[in-house]
Formats: sequence, structure tokens, C-alpha cells
Amino acid sequence: MEESIRQLSDQARAALEAATTEEELEAERRRFLGRKGLLREIRQGLKDLPEEDRPAVGKLINQTTRQLEALLEQRRQKLASGKAAFPEDRLDVTLPGRAPLIAGKHPLLATMEDMIEIFLGLGYLVAEGPEIEDYYHAFEALNYPEDHPAMDEQMTFYVEDDVLLRSQTSTVQIRVMEKQEPPVRVVVPGRCYRRDTVDATHCHTFYQLEGLLVDEGITFADLKGTLQAFAEGMFGPEVRVRFRPDFFPFTEPSAEFAVSCFICGGVGCRVCSGTGWLELGGAGMVDPNVLAGVGYDTERYTGFAFGVGIERFAMLRYGIKDIRVFYSGDMRVLTQF
Amino acid sequence: MRVPYGWLMEYIDTDASPEELAHVLTMGGLEVEEIEDWTSEDGQASDKVLITSVTSNRGDLLSMIGVARHAAALLDVEFTPPEMSLPATDEPIRADDDLTEGDTRVQILDLEGCPRYSALRVTGVDVGPSPEWLAHRLEAAGIRPISNVVDATNYVVWETGQPLHAFDHRLLIDGHIIVRRAEPGERMLTIDDQWRYLTPDDLVICDPKGPVALAGIMGGLDSEVRKLTKDVLLESAHFNPTLIRRTSQRLPLSTEASYRFERYVDPNLTLPALARAAQLILDSAGGEIVGPALDVRTEEFELRAITMRPDRCNAVLGTDLSGQEMEELLKRLGLEVRMQYGLSVRGVETYLGGGVPVAEEDREGAPGRPAVKLPEPDALLVTVPTHRPDLEREIDLIEEVAIVHGYDSIPMTLPRAGNAAAVLTREQKLERRVREVMRAAGVCESLSFSMMGQHDLDSIGLPEDAPERSALRLRDPVSAHEDLMRTTLLPSLFDAARDNVRQRVQDVALFEVSRVFLPAPPAEGKPSAGEEEGAQAPRGLPEERRRLGAIVMGSVMTSGWNLPAEVAEADFYWLKGLVEQLCRSLGLDEVVFERARHPSLHPGRSAQLLVSGEYAGALGEVAPEVRDAYDLQHPAYVMELDLEVLFQHAQLQAHYEPVPRMPAALRDLALVVPDDEEHDASTLTTAVEQAAGDELASVEVFDVYEDPERLGAGNKQIALRLTFRHPERTLTDDEVDALMRTITQRLERDLSARVRDW
Repeated sequence: MEESIRQLSDQARAALEAATTEEELEAERRRFLGRKGLLREIRQGLKDLPEEDRPAVGKLINQTTRQLEALLEQRRQKLASGKAAFPEDRLDVTLPGRAPLIAGKHPLLATMEDMIEIFLGLGYLVAEGPEIEDYYHAFEALNYPEDHPAMDEQMTFYVEDDVLLRSQTSTVQIRVMEKQEPPVRVVVPGRCYRRDTVDATHCHTFYQLEGLLVDEGITFADLKGTLQAFAEGMFGPEVRVRFRPDFFPFTEPSAEFAVSCFICGGVGCRVCSGTGWLELGGAGMVDPNVLAGVGYDTERYTGFAFGVGIERFAMLRYGIKDIRVFYSGDMRVLTQF
Repeated sequence: MRVPYGWLMEYIDTDASPEELAHVLTMGGLEVEEIEDWTSEDGQASDKVLITSVTSNRGDLLSMIGVARHAAALLDVEFTPPEMSLPATDEPIRADDDLTEGDTRVQILDLEGCPRYSALRVTGVDVGPSPEWLAHRLEAAGIRPISNVVDATNYVVWETGQPLHAFDHRLLIDGHIIVRRAEPGERMLTIDDQWRYLTPDDLVICDPKGPVALAGIMGGLDSEVRKLTKDVLLESAHFNPTLIRRTSQRLPLSTEASYRFERYVDPNLTLPALARAAQLILDSAGGEIVGPALDVRTEEFELRAITMRPDRCNAVLGTDLSGQEMEELLKRLGLEVRMQYGLSVRGVETYLGGGVPVAEEDREGAPGRPAVKLPEPDALLVTVPTHRPDLEREIDLIEEVAIVHGYDSIPMTLPRAGNAAAVLTREQKLERRVREVMRAAGVCESLSFSMMGQHDLDSIGLPEDAPERSALRLRDPVSAHEDLMRTTLLPSLFDAARDNVRQRVQDVALFEVSRVFLPAPPAEGKPSAGEEEGAQAPRGLPEERRRLGAIVMGSVMTSGWNLPAEVAEADFYWLKGLVEQLCRSLGLDEVVFERARHPSLHPGRSAQLLVSGEYAGALGEVAPEVRDAYDLQHPAYVMELDLEVLFQHAQLQAHYEPVPRMPAALRDLALVVPDDEEHDASTLTTAVEQAAGDELASVEVFDVYEDPERLGAGNKQIALRLTFRHPERTLTDDEVDALMRTITQRLERDLSARVRDW
């Protein structure tokens, strides 16, 4: 009798474990634990046993019943949880999330900050200066000859004879040097203005990053090496930098610098107009007149300066074709960054 | 400038292709922007034309000869200029300022404006078409052929860079040329059939009757060479660049001549150019030269001598060139170079003689003789021809060495390391933090223009006397609605909102950190008695203040399905929460929001921010009139904060306080008070703080409730959560109850608050 109870118990356990749906589980419950189930049958066999054996066997039956009911409940829960039985417990995980937006940096400022990071790494402080300047800092101190065609290129906005909107960040060179002795090592990010009508490729407002280093023993070779390092920081180690003579009143020798086109690698493509080069800005050795103007000893100190336009760079970087995009305030634009 | 390749090749001994030439020139400082395939209109001639862009310091490259000379230097090949001399029998005659020869008189009344005026007369010409080769060359250069006489002068302008003008000698009264300033009210008809009204700032070429040419810019219609002209007077002068530039800008009238004069034309070119033009006229129009050329001038226009130290040159360039190499490079440019040896170099003086160039064969090492090992010179003494006015100083020569040597040949090095680590300044770090906080809140970073217009100030509802209305005005704005420098960021923000709504974008959240420009107050102090009446007090530069502006409309969530609008959409309290976060991230304490009026904001839904008692900006819901002005149908919320004020009080670094060890006792307090300004939240919490004493750790609003039926009309209920804590021990319930009694009594007494039971 005891033996058959144990066999039945094992059998029932296996069956309950094997049930994979609640319906199957219910069928097994009826088979073993139901009113006409197998355990009930065995219990009915109790009366056929000798009187003295009945308590022990009865106890075993009860114990087995409890164990199987516990297992049954356990299995029930397990199957129910696997199935998510009630609709209110189920989420449509494909609905969109509802978190606060996290907005991105403005593409122009992001580009400029990447540039600044490189120069911070090279030991350059970040300086700033006024956007509305006086004539002295904007032109005279930068060695612009009075009434010279070099001024035409600047297309300056004037407020008064002596007050104007800076057309380049170079003005800040003077303000920085007026305040300190060499060594000077700064970059100057900032907004500049030029009398230009606004269209897809022109704008009266633009951003520049200016660099200035003045110290003993600074050479044109140092300028080349520095801008090569900068270009590598922006475009990767494969980039090449090209320098060709140019003219700026405040530097001499002066150079225009370009990098090998990062789209085509210098072979020539639509982006670089087939030249293989992308012009990035102007550079040169600080003109001795400029250094002398701020009271530096020009025999002891030499220096270099450079200026990079940010817009063109950011346009290439993000694939922006219209410069007005940068100043649009269109959420459909801004949320892309 | 258009440089026809075939024409250029006449002067240089090279077989470089147009592409090679373009590359060499570009890398040598004369940018070739484009190479054009040119074919003449009659289809008889074709050439490649290099389109160059000449920097403003290199007027000498505005001629075929100039380009050829530079190309030859860069390629290190021979340069052969054309023959440009008058017959030896006709030596020019010279005078200081007044010269008569035959039927021609040249008189300069303004020697500063015209330091040199040369003239030559050719008679018996037959005006007709130019020979084809010449017409084609001019056409390739972009000049329309007119007649053989005029074309000859234009050809010489292009070839030499010396602007020329041809007068019909018979149309000049008495053949008398007078160079002077224009008289007030004087006018003349230029060859483009335009009346030009002149001022005493303008230099004119006149005959006794009046102006016959606008000096250095354009000839007069009355005296120009025409079909029947037989007698030509050629003008070849040197004018003051600044004077020409001013007149050219004022009129405005820019011509091939003025463009060149502005950039300085070699003053010693006047006679060679006359000779060249005369020769071309004789060849193509016949006639003969009458008498010698007239050359009126006081100056000598001598060559300039500059010293360049090889050591200095290497120190600037970072090169390791010898003095001889530098000499070689400079000579290629046509500069005369002599070595200078100081007395410190023993024996050199006697060996070579001071400054005497070493014979070529000694340097090269003639057959059978070893090359002479030259000692390093202390300096190069360089003589600069007058066509290079840009070479004045040592550094100018150093640049020439670099250009001819090639920028590519200069090594790349890095400057020695600086002696301090570079970090952002405090303000720069704070500005970055502000931008980060705004972005993290879902507000997009944007930029807008610094210019605004009068209508912007009107649209944002500013009263007539608003300080924002005194803005700097641009003299020459690009457009009439962008003629002021902005004094507030608000118009740009409203513009952006309107533009978005027009594009059917209803959820707008954007900010900008930019400067506003506040005009400087007039210099302090009264003008002293001696000063001219009406003299404007000198004004400084405007004050530039960094501002943070932001506008929010609709939702700032990624999505808002099923969320009630008050949760999904920004409102006043959302914006205020953002400002609070911002203040917290800047380490600002003493931050107070006060109800305040602002012309652009809703009077009941706007506040000003005070930081340590100082006004730091405004925030609130956009006023209905302003919304109308910008077509905004839905509520919008804006702020404009002055970052200079925030930064002044900001703390870059947080200060840590240990987390409290003792447990806190929490009590809730519901107050029924009139819904008015005397019972706003900050008044109530302040009253609680004052009544509670040190054990009160915090008091927070957690519910605001209005229900006229239950609370009575005009009342509101504010529920506060009070946290009590003692630093040393656990507070007993009795202690906290006692504190609560004190607080409620004080509130009932001072603020007529009714405490509701829970």
C-alpha cells in the first residue's frame, strides 16, 4: 500500500511538472487530486486495511496530498506568470517612450568646441574680446595701412567712424597682448561680422577661431607643425596640410592653409572642387609692427597667428549645404544634433 | 586678372603647361583660381587663360610682365621683358612742375596727388581697327578692342601695369594739361557718358577750360580719341594711391586704371610704358612721334636698400639656409644682393673687399680651381626695384626668401611646450555648464543674428521709454530691418517660435547664449569750457553682456501620448523649475523669484529673478499682445537672464555637507488662506521658517487646492510638508508637536491662516 502511494506520488509529480499549460495542469489535478482522482481511490482502499495499519497509511496519504497541492499551486503560478494572465499587466513596449528630451549642441558651437579642445591640449588658453571694436584694435594695431585696398576685403559694418563690428577675431590678439607679456598662447573663438547679403553660401554673421602664440624662438616651421597637429586632431592622422603664400597686414610671412580633402583623401571630388584641398584659413608670423605696437621686443620675441572659419568646416562635417541653417532656429533642424 | 597663357609665355623661357604654371604661381603667392579655355569671338584664336586673384599688397602682379617676372623667379628660368625704350635721339626732357615743349604744356599744381606726369605726342595716326593678334590678345584678357590707338594703350596697361590715357591733342585747349584738384561744384562727362560731380578731394586732369579726365580713373568724353583723331597725346602718370582710392570709392567708380593706381604703380614705369605704347601705335596706326617725351616730376624715385640678416631669416622661418642660398633666392626675384661682412669677421674685408659680390666663377669653382668656401655674411644688402613697393623691411625680404624657397620646403616642428596647463576660465566653464543644463532639460541650442530692427522693439511690446530702445545703429546695414545691434534676445526667440509655428511645428524649446550690446553712456563730466560747442562727447565701446534667452511652447518630452497637457507641456512652473535647476547647478544661493511686470510678459504670470538681491533677468508667459504680434496661438514661455550677474555670484564647485545621522520627523500642515499676494507660497514658507527655529530642516509645498464650496470663495489651501531634525538626538513626538503648535499659532495670528485637520 505504502509502496503504491509513493509510486502514485512520483507519477503525479512528474505529470504536474510536465504540464505546459494551465489546461493540462487542471487535467492532471483532476486525475490525481480530483474528487474521483487516483488519491481518492487509494484513500477509499483504507477501509480494506487492517485497523492498526490505517493511521500510518492515512497520514502518508494526507502528506502526499498536501505536497502535491503545494506543487500544483507552484506550477499554477509559474504558468500564469509566464502568460501574463491579465491585460492590465501587459504593456505595448512598442509605444514611444516618454522621457524629457535631451537636446544637442549647436553644430557650429560643437565644431568650435572640438577645435578648442585640441588647442587646450596643446596648452592654449581661451581668450575672448568685444564684438564691437574700435578702429585702433580692428585695423590700426593690426598694421592695416590707412585707406588701403586691404580694407575692402573686410567689408566692415560701422557704427561710428571709430566704432565697428569686428570682421575677424584677430582684433583680440591686440587686446590679449596689451594685457600681458610673452609668452602668449591663446585661441580666440567668436562671432564676427561682414557686410554680406545672406544667401546659401554667404552670411553677414560668422564664427572664427583665432590662434596666437608669441614667445622666444617661435618660427614659421612651428606654425606649420602646429596646424598639422590641429588638422590631425580634427581629421585624423592621414590628413596633410598645405601652406601657400597669402597676404594679411598683421602677419608676415603670411599663408593660406588647406587640408587634404577628407571626403576624397586628396584625389579631387565635388566637395573640394576637384582640387583635393579644402581651404581652412589664414596664418602667418605676427608682423613685427604688430608686436612693436603692443610694446614687445621684436628682436627677442617672434610669434605666429592663425584664423579658421567655423561655418565651412561645420558644413562639410554635417553635410549642411545652406549656411542659413545655422541661424534658423527651426526645431526640425536643431533636434538633429 | 585674366592672364592669357600664350601671351605670358612670350616673356619666360619655359615649357611649363598652363596647369603647371598655375600650380607654381598659386604656391608662389599668386593664386590661380581657374584655367579657362578661351576662344575668340571670330573663332580664329584660342588660348588658355589663367584667372588670378592678386593680394592687395602686390600691385606689381597686375600685369603680364609682373606675372612673368614672378613665374620666372619661381621656376628659376629666364625672364625677357619686351623692348620699351624711345629712340635714343629723343631723350625725355624734364621739369619740376611746369614744362612746355612745342605745342604741349604739362603743368602739375598738386605734386602730392600727382608726383609724376609723363606725356608723349604722336601725330599723323590713322585710327582704325587693331591688327588681329593684338585684338585677340585683348579679347583673351577680357578687354573689348576699340581702335588701334586706344587698344595700344590698353595693351600696354595689361602688359606693363602702367595705366595710360590717350587724348586727342587737338581737343585739348592750347595742348595744355593741368593736373589739379577739382573745384567745388565742378563736373565732367566721362567716357562712359556719365556726369561726374566733383569735390576738391578729387584729382582731375584739365585743360585751361576745365576737366578732361578724372585722374587715374577715367578719361573725359570731350577729349577722347575718335575716328577722325590724327594727333594723339599719350598720358603716363603716377598718382597718389590714397587719393585715387577715395575718389573711386566715393563715386563709386572702379576701373582697370583706378584698381592699379590704388595698389601703387611703379613710378619709374611712366616713360617705358609711353615708349611701348608709341611703338605699338606707330606699328598699327602709323604716324610719328613728335619731339621728346615730357617728364614732369620733382622726385627721383630711387631704389631702396634693405638689410637682411641670414640668422634672423632662419630664426623666423625655422630653416637652415646659408646666406648664399638666400642670396640666390632673392636674386631670382630680380633683386640686387650684396654680402655684408662685419668687422668681426676677421680677414674677410681684405679677402673679398667690403660688400663686393664674389665673381661667379669663384663661387662655382672654375675648372681646375676649387670652389671658394665663402664665409657666412652678417647681412645681405638688398636693393629693391621700384616695382616692389611692398619690400620695405627685413621681414618683407624674409617672406620673399620663404616664397621662392617654397613654403613646402620649410620643415614642420612644434613650439616648445608652454609652462602651464591650459584650462578654461571660470566664466568659460560656467557658460558651458549653463548650456549643458539647458540641453539636458530638452531645450535645443540655437544661434540667431545680433542685428534687429525697430519693428522688433515694437513687436515685443516695449514702451517708448524702454532702455532696450536705445540701441547702436549700423551706418550701413545689409537690410533696413537689421540696422540695430540687439539689446535683448527676445525678438530672436519670438521670431524662431513664429517660424516654427509657420512650419506647423508646435513643440518649440530653444535657447541661445549670445551677447547683447548696450550703448556706453556718454563720457562722464561736462565738456570743459574751452571745448567747441556741439562737439560730441567721446563715447566708449558699448557694454557687451552675455545673456541666456529661451522660449518654450508645447511639450519638451520625446512623446506625450495619454499624458494630460499639464504634465506633457511646459508651463510657467516648468520654466521656473528650469531656472531653479540652472541656479542650483551654478551654486547660487540667495535666489529669489518675485512677481514683476515686463512689457513682453503676461502681467500675472511673470517673475523676475534676483540673485543675492541683484536683478538677473525675467521669465514668464508671453503677453497676449506679443503672442498676437508673432502669430503664436498657444501659450509660450520665455526667459532672458543676464549671465554676467549669475556668474558673478556663481560657485564653480559644490560644497559637501555630511548626510544627517539623526532621523527626521515629518509633519504635514494644510493652511487655508486668502488667494492673494500677501499669502503666496514664499510668504507662508518664510513664516513657517521664522516660527520654527533651528530644528526645522525644510519646508516644502506639496499641494495647492482651490474649492470655493469647501474652502470659501477667494480662498486656497496650501499643504506644506515640514521636516524636523535635531543634529544630536532624535526629536520626541512631544517636542515636534510643541514646535507645530508654535508654528500654527504664529500663522493663525500673523497671516490669518486657518489650519485644516487631516
